[in-house]
Amino acid sequence: MQGRTAGVFPGLPDESAFPRVAQRGARVSLRVIEERHETLAVTRGVVQPARLAIDRGAMVSVWLDGEIGYCATADLAPRGLRAAADRALEWARAARGRGLGLADAPWPRPQAPSSREPPDDPLPGRAELIDLLRAEAAAMTRDARVRHWSASLRTTSTSEQLWIDGALAARQSFRFVVPNLEATAVDAGRSQTRTLGGQYNGFCRQGGGSVLRDSGIVGGGARVADEALQLLGAPNCPDGARDLLLSPDQMMLQIHESIGHPLELDRILGDERNFAGTSFVAPEMFGSYRYGSPLLNVSFDPGVPGEFASYAVDDDGAAAQPRRLIEGGILLRALGGALSQARARALGWPIEGVACSRASGWYRPPIDRMANLNLEPGDATLDSMIASVERGIWMQTNASWSIDDSRNKFQFGCEWARLIDDGRLGPLVRNPNYRGISATFWRNLAAVGDRSTMQVLGTPYCGKGEPGQIVRVGHASPACLFRSVEVFGGES
Amino acid sequence: MTADALFAAQFASLAQFVGSAPARGEILFGTLRGERSDFLRVNRARVRQAGTVERVTVGLRLLDAGRQARMVCTLGERERIDAVLGGALAELRAAIAQLPVDPWACWRPVPGRSERVDDGDAPGPAAAIDAILGAAGDADLVGLFAGGPMVRALASSLGHRHYHQTMSSSFDFSVQAGGDRAVKDCWFSGHWDAASLQAAIRAARERARILQRPARRLAPGDYRVLLAPQALAELVALLGWDGFSERAWRSGQSPLARAARGEARFAAGFTLVEDADAFGVPRFQDDGFERPARIALLEAGCPVRRLVSPRSAREFGVEGNGADEDERPLAACVAPGELPAAQALAALGTGVSIANLWYLNYSDREACRATGMTRFATLWVEDGEPVAPIEPMRFDDSLYRVLGEQLLALTDSAEPIPAGDTWNGREPGGIRAPAALVGALRFTL
Repeated sequence: MQGRTAGVFPGLPDESAFPRVAQRGARVSLRVIEERHETLAVTRGVVQPARLAIDRGAMVSVWLDGEIGYCATADLAPRGLRAAADRALEWARAARGRGLGLADAPWPRPQAPSSREPPDDPLPGRAELIDLLRAEAAAMTRDARVRHWSASLRTTSTSEQLWIDGALAARQSFRFVVPNLEATAVDAGRSQTRTLGGQYNGFCRQGGGSVLRDSGIVGGGARVADEALQLLGAPNCPDGARDLLLSPDQMMLQIHESIGHPLELDRILGDERNFAGTSFVAPEMFGSYRYGSPLLNVSFDPGVPGEFASYAVDDDGAAAQPRRLIEGGILLRALGGALSQARARALGWPIEGVACSRASGWYRPPIDRMANLNLEPGDATLDSMIASVERGIWMQTNASWSIDDSRNKFQFGCEWARLIDDGRLGPLVRNPNYRGISATFWRNLAAVGDRSTMQVLGTPYCGKGEPGQIVRVGHASPACLFRSVEVFGGES
Repeated sequence: MTADALFAAQFASLAQFVGSAPARGEILFGTLRGERSDFLRVNRARVRQAGTVERVTVGLRLLDAGRQARMVCTLGERERIDAVLGGALAELRAAIAQLPVDPWACWRPVPGRSERVDDGDAPGPAAAIDAILGAAGDADLVGLFAGGPMVRALASSLGHRHYHQTMSSSFDFSVQAGGDRAVKDCWFSGHWDAASLQAAIRAARERARILQRPARRLAPGDYRVLLAPQALAELVALLGWDGFSERAWRSGQSPLARAARGEARFAAGFTLVEDADAFGVPRFQDDGFERPARIALLEAGCPVRRLVSPRSAREFGVEGNGADEDERPLAACVAPGELPAAQALAALGTGVSIANLWYLNYSDREACRATGMTRFATLWVEDGEPVAPIEPMRFDDSLYRVLGEQLLALTDSAEPIPAGDTWNGREPGGIRAPAALVGALRFTL
């Protein structure tokens, strides 16, 4: 059995390299990952140096007497993997009686291995991609007030193997594509930035050339620069309570911060209290808590083709299946993998979870993560939502985000907004922000857009964990309308 | 102390490679970043996750006839290092053949050399668990222990040779008191000292007692506050996000643009210096340039110098000062003031003592207006005496106001707060800050 040969590295290790542990009752998992990255960019008119990377290594985890130890190594020779297993065993032994006290490891017993291959969707070659980025960057330079402009593309190809107790449990391959455009216009002491998918790459998917076509990067340079210039001349966003219409490129952040993170079971169990924080969601809320209005339906769905965090099997070997987390506004399930579910059951909380144990790379152990977390479409058209608003605002594209450690009090800012008055779109405004409280905000969900308003987005930068882990997350959402939200602008 | 045998051998292989592999006309730089880290994660005073990470990466940068490309690769099996580096070089040659000349390419042609290997030690698995859980008692202790050696090194075909190895142990932890309330601290040392670590945990447990009192809920409005050093460090870290970057200034993205134009300023007592030696930051960067020991960023409340990477220096035609590409401070140090630290609460009188701020971001970047949350041990204080914890509050305020007209005093001692980031590996650096007495901070939610 052989993984993809990358040129610099040989193939991934075969079965003979699986590290055996000379300890009765011990269980072992081996996760081997090879990632290749390439970043191309044209910034302020200059083609930037190509940035390539290959990261390859393995995580060996050993369960013994209720505890798990791990060791990450890039030495994939049998000798290196054995040494890593010995170190992981040493940690498990040292924690005996002082850790989780798990009745068993959170890994399934060997079955037929799962496999996943990326779709046949080739990317153009490097020279063609550079030409594309040059063309879009050039299209942004139509006005001397555009002080900064860039066009960029980051691609990542990943091959993973998961072995449990000496048997192959999963083999998965992915290709992630993240295009972006950014323009900053400056004049008279004022500065405004507009992007294609957000300043932190909200447009990100799996695939190849089709991702570029769907992203709008082709021909998008002129639009992005024009909108930055328009914002430069726009008045400051007014203060006050308004109905708030959010486009998918802000909804994805709203879902991420105020639904995704609060539902992570490891946060609810307290693991993140020293760093990423806790949750306003308590274990007894599952099954009965009204999270939002009856229009709110949220799913964990790792099977959406092309969505950024689609996968077949999580990093503890659980098969990924779509599950409703919130239905008709009622909270049903947590974002908790097999380990967290077992811990919750041991505490008397039979909370149902999903296959979401994920690690950011071979050098980090898996924890509960979001994967694809999607808000399901409703039946409202964009025009009907606008027409239903007497005094409101329509915001697009996240620019600023902050939320408290229990994921309740939030404040978010966007790049672009237009006022809505008496059912009609009004003027463009700059520096739009809004704030609210998760526990009440979603109950003010008044309309959910139909499929014509929906976009499949995500973020490459979801941070959490000690030590820190940044993972890819997908969020698909329609446009949504919320009643009576506190809205405000920047310094006058 | 001698260099770690594995890291030193890998650096020797890298140095040999960059010295011998380039063809005529090629210049090759190689950076080495490595760590062998023990991570012990604790929740409710029990082991949550425990393990070891050994990871070494090499960054190769190939320049040829004005074109350049970069590649980072992980070093694994010792006997395969030359093959890995050779393969990476082949990919770089193929890449630059497709790239135009890079007018901003910049490197230091004069080779520099340095070596620093710090003394130190770290505990093994059993000793770390014994010390931490032994001091927890019945406390709800949560945190991350991280220990072991780190290396940063640079070699080039021009003769650069820099090697910087440190050894440290840290325990970033909190003693939880229910709800959002906790006492947070970070113990760190170059030498493992179980007694010192345990004393820090016991002290935090003691400080957490007041958090058992019922929390007060404040209404939005302006409040007189005392920002503990950790809280002020959060504001400084936010300012470091493009605030001192030459590239951000030139491209219209700097949050300190108004100050740079002389339209706004901080308080006269607010001085900020990048002090590489304060946190053992390597004095060299990836293009072979050496960092000055100190760079004044703010003096008497006004911008003095910006951090200029070699690439920005070339693009904008200014003198560089050895900054990394992201042009963020690595070791920002706020000058202390004159308020005796022991009298800080008395000087606050009645108001809010904020131990930590959390999740800061700009709400209006061009105006340097920021939002964020209070967190952990934030207390209501009356007549200089802590009365009760408060529920977390959101602030949204101009930093020109908070650290300008409203900055009443800085304490006379500054605390070192080591960088806790571990996203892509353990990082050197940190922030040194005193406590700050602020006349009014605007709570909004």
